[in-house]
Amino acid sequence: MEIPVALAKTAYKKPFTKKVYPYLFIMPFALLVLVFFILPAIATIIMSFTNLNASMKINFVGLDNFKRIFSDYSMPQILWNTFIFAVVTLVFSLFFGLFISIATQYFLKGKFTAVIYRVLWLIPSIIPAVVYVTFWKYLFDPTDEGFINKVLLLFQPDGDPISWFTKIAMAVVIIATIVSTTSGGMILLSAAISSIPEDLYKAAKVDGASEKSVITKIILPSLKWPLMYITISDLIGFVSSYFFILLLTNGGPMRDTTTLSLYAYQQAFNLKYYGYGAALSLVVVLISLILTLWLLRLFDFDEMIKPSRIED
Amino acid sequence: MSTTTVKKLLVHTYLLLFTMPIVGMIIWYFLSATFNSTTGQFSLENFNFVKEPVEYAGVNLPAIWPIVLNTLVYSFLIVVIEIFIAVPAAYAFSRLDFKGKLGAMKFLFLMRSFPGITLIIATFFILVQMNLVNTYLGVILVAISGSLPGRVYIMKGFFDEVPWDLEWAAMVDGCTRFRALMKVLVPYVLPGIGAIAVFAFLGAYGEWFLFKLFIFDDNMLTLAGYLSRLVTKENVIMNYGLITAIGLFYTIPLVVFYIFTQKVFLKVNLGGAKQV
Repeated sequence: MEIPVALAKTAYKKPFTKKVYPYLFIMPFALLVLVFFILPAIATIIMSFTNLNASMKINFVGLDNFKRIFSDYSMPQILWNTFIFAVVTLVFSLFFGLFISIATQYFLKGKFTAVIYRVLWLIPSIIPAVVYVTFWKYLFDPTDEGFINKVLLLFQPDGDPISWFTKIAMAVVIIATIVSTTSGGMILLSAAISSIPEDLYKAAKVDGASEKSVITKIILPSLKWPLMYITISDLIGFVSSYFFILLLTNGGPMRDTTTLSLYAYQQAFNLKYYGYGAALSLVVVLISLILTLWLLRLFDFDEMIKPSRIED
Repeated sequence: MSTTTVKKLLVHTYLLLFTMPIVGMIIWYFLSATFNSTTGQFSLENFNFVKEPVEYAGVNLPAIWPIVLNTLVYSFLIVVIEIFIAVPAAYAFSRLDFKGKLGAMKFLFLMRSFPGITLIIATFFILVQMNLVNTYLGVILVAISGSLPGRVYIMKGFFDEVPWDLEWAAMVDGCTRFRALMKVLVPYVLPGIGAIAVFAFLGAYGEWFLFKLFIFDDNMLTLAGYLSRLVTKENVIMNYGLITAIGLFYTIPLVVFYIFTQKVFLKVNLGGAKQV
């Protein structure tokens, strides 16, 4: 039996049921995304052009909210806070992540102590934020109950307890965030370092390489990819994060620890300026989008989602 | 050999130095919860909240056990719903062809890095319109919408690793695509389902923000929401003993859960080159 040529030439047409089939699978997910992602996104844009507040009346005010952002006298400080918080936290958590992963995966490789250190560093990210925050509140407690004040009073029995949160609130927020976010980078970097073959180190040692050149010539180059990933995803996270600051200082004292996202939250939910809050949150989106597009370009997205045919 | 010893010592010194605050935190937590600060004696009186409603800063706190039940029910619901929505969606993204797949994937990726603050203001109004404020359903819908894109990504990675031959073999043996999915693929990706279940549970167990925002009824709070109310009540915490005792009561089960599920974390390839 030979198949007629004409028959073989007609292209295979997918039956209708086969076309609909995939959509049934993503339907629940798509529906949720529609109602709780796309709809709020559109609503936010609309709200940002209204002066929606506690009275719940919707009046369109054009670009007033955005003009207000530019004339808001606390804006420079808030943008500065956001920048400082994101950059300083990122730099230090990258540094600690690198240090701990190199120390435990290279200098103390395979030792029991290395595991202990890594587990200890994981703990701040494991315990819930509401529990974690208590410790920092205790450490810097402004009364003589606080740990640091207790220590200081040991040295100066007649001194007054220092109210840390009015003096160095931002530093406290940054330190607490660094300690809890280091572990994320540490995990990725540790995995990358542990996949470096031992032979490389041995060969380097035989050739008389110093520890410094092992780190700079062997370890660091293999960390390029995870470092890039951590840098950008953490940066986006820090720019838009406000949960932890809300718990720790609520943005205070005054606006000392208020970042842009937290400011948007406060305007909307504490002062009920929903329209202004929406406009502020759009600025956060704009910053995040720029960072994300940068991420996509660096990571060559299309390559990433094609199924790889070569196992390497 | 002495140089290596010096190096090791140096490394240990730095590591110890950096790790001190964390060790201190753990020690303080246990001490604070189990010591009576006035007498300096070991006592478990801070844990009285498990027996009867206690007073904090002059306010009677609700009894703890109904709140524990709320936490467990809420976490369980989140886990089940996330699995039932994420697994089919991930299967479609990984194994089926449909129009707009690439676009949808890119959109998913963008969603993951979309700041929560932007949506939460408008989401509040949508919940008000749907009469879902102060209900668990409202909190659950908002919570899973936020976390599903990440779950779908992880799950897709697991589906991507299943050899096509398995599915083909099942189809040759007379399975439909759907039966092949249920009989062959799902058993194969069970570790992945386990992974997203663990993540979903951890997320639900720690969720305090949505409860702070959408739940006004103290009797509906979960443990995390309950603690967040206590911690943020005033700027200064009045009774560290009680707060740390409740904190331990809330955290220790979680740490045990981590110890039993840690293998799951090794299987998930987050931020890898091939399957994000």
